[in-house]
Amino acid sequence: MTPFYTWLRETLMALSDAGIMPSIFFYEFVVNALLCSIVIGPLLGCVGTMIVAKRMAFFSQAIGNAALTGVAIGVLIGESYTAPYVSMFSFCLLFGIVLNYTKPRTRMSADALIGVFLSISLAVGASLVLYVSARVNTHILESVMFGSILTVSDLDMNVLLVVTIITLVVGLPLYNKMLLGSLNPSLAQVRGVNVQAIEYIFIVLVTLITVACVKIIGAVLVEALLLIPAAAARNLCRSLRSFVWTTMALATLSCVGGIWIPMQWDIPVPSGGAIVMLAAIFFILTTVIRNVVPGFREAKL
Amino acid sequence: MPGPAIHVDNLSLQLGAHRVLASIQFSIAAGSLHCFIGPNGGGKTSTARCLLGQMPHTGTIRFEWFNGNKGNIGYVPQLIEMERTLPLTIDNFMTVISQDKPAFMSPKKEAKAAIDHALDRVGLTAKRSLMLGSLSGGERQRLLFAQALIPNPDLLVLDEPMTSLDEGGSRLFEQLIGELNREGTTVLWINHDLDQVARLADNITVIDKVVLAHGPTATTLTADMQRGVFHSQDNGWAV
Repeated sequence: MTPFYTWLRETLMALSDAGIMPSIFFYEFVVNALLCSIVIGPLLGCVGTMIVAKRMAFFSQAIGNAALTGVAIGVLIGESYTAPYVSMFSFCLLFGIVLNYTKPRTRMSADALIGVFLSISLAVGASLVLYVSARVNTHILESVMFGSILTVSDLDMNVLLVVTIITLVVGLPLYNKMLLGSLNPSLAQVRGVNVQAIEYIFIVLVTLITVACVKIIGAVLVEALLLIPAAAARNLCRSLRSFVWTTMALATLSCVGGIWIPMQWDIPVPSGGAIVMLAAIFFILTTVIRNVVPGFREAKL
Repeated sequence: MPGPAIHVDNLSLQLGAHRVLASIQFSIAAGSLHCFIGPNGGGKTSTARCLLGQMPHTGTIRFEWFNGNKGNIGYVPQLIEMERTLPLTIDNFMTVISQDKPAFMSPKKEAKAAIDHALDRVGLTAKRSLMLGSLSGGERQRLLFAQALIPNPDLLVLDEPMTSLDEGGSRLFEQLIGELNREGTTVLWINHDLDQVARLADNITVIDKVVLAHGPTATTLTADMQRGVFHSQDNGWAV
């Protein structure tokens, strides 16, 4: 894919140089960041609607924390500390599968169990990463938690692209089954859905997506983009169709706007923070609309 | 295609320390309308869920499908709380169960036709844009019945589908169940309304952890048995 990225970057740079495109497109890192945004936005927006349906709001956060351990293991076994994808994917997949395996074997609700795993993964991950950071003299903890969308490499974009394609090919045909499985597992089973297998597939997809996005936007931001756009859209939408498309649009707008706005107007805000703040503004706006415009009101209890 | 016959032999179910079913044995004739009756907590729903493969039971359950080809099973569960977090409409829900194409995309033509027909049969066409969270109990039961009609069921398992229905709804459901049964569908119906059972069922099985009685309704649901049921109502029998 590198020749394509190079062609795209050079074309946009030329257009920027000619005054046709805004001046920020002259910078390679901006083009990379915006390319990632237009992939990550719809991807996280769409998956976010399912995360909300399955009440797994903090699962990706737990996976993000597990990525810390994955990075630490990667550094310890000699992977590059800037992109230890093999260790991150391996450990996070193992972590997600163990979490899902444990779920029906305890009497806890999904959110409580995720909370337990989230705490464990943060404690173990942070401890290991701090130990490893001292050895390689870098700030791994920050980069995993908050990512670095402006230092995205071609490898990072390729990983994101592959994960996106896997999600489209595997996840889209199973979307209805996943939704039915979360609405009523018993009904889903009678209708021929292998509820447990579908659950594992969903866990694996969210894990892959989270890990692919951790390097680019960070574990904290993955969580924010999975939840805030969906919450904002839910305030106004009255059908699944409008909910999913609005969520995808808001997530994409937040990503692109969060990168573009601070650069265009020299606002001293890091892109990660700007992305979350923009999403939060959408959420506040839609909450206000929902409470002010009579047509959007629903029963409060 | 006629519905299946079902043969249950020595069916037992233990959940933790609780013995739910003990050596249950009965048969359901192909294309018949068969009712389970019995007290609350007696194991009627558990028996149905064993038949649907959802319980860790012991014993044998054998389905005899017409020509050996497994047909469609429609299931109307007990009234459930509907999703309030998602903006999911009746139409969306029906699309979810009708096709593999994601429900947030436009529905396929054939799926739409099937949904229109099913919603029309249960009288929900005018309410198809309502969100699930805003539905009344009766509307939810109509929706659960509508989903069981897609695809056309060869075996229909109904778990107290009329609890929240008004009189018109009950009449409609009776009529729909009768139509399906006449077309050959085997109907397994968990029902507390003994008058309705006496009127409609071909056969009954009375379950209270064990099979108390089993056979044709006319000879099994006798005045003695009904008196027993009404007499035991104070002790937990529901009618």
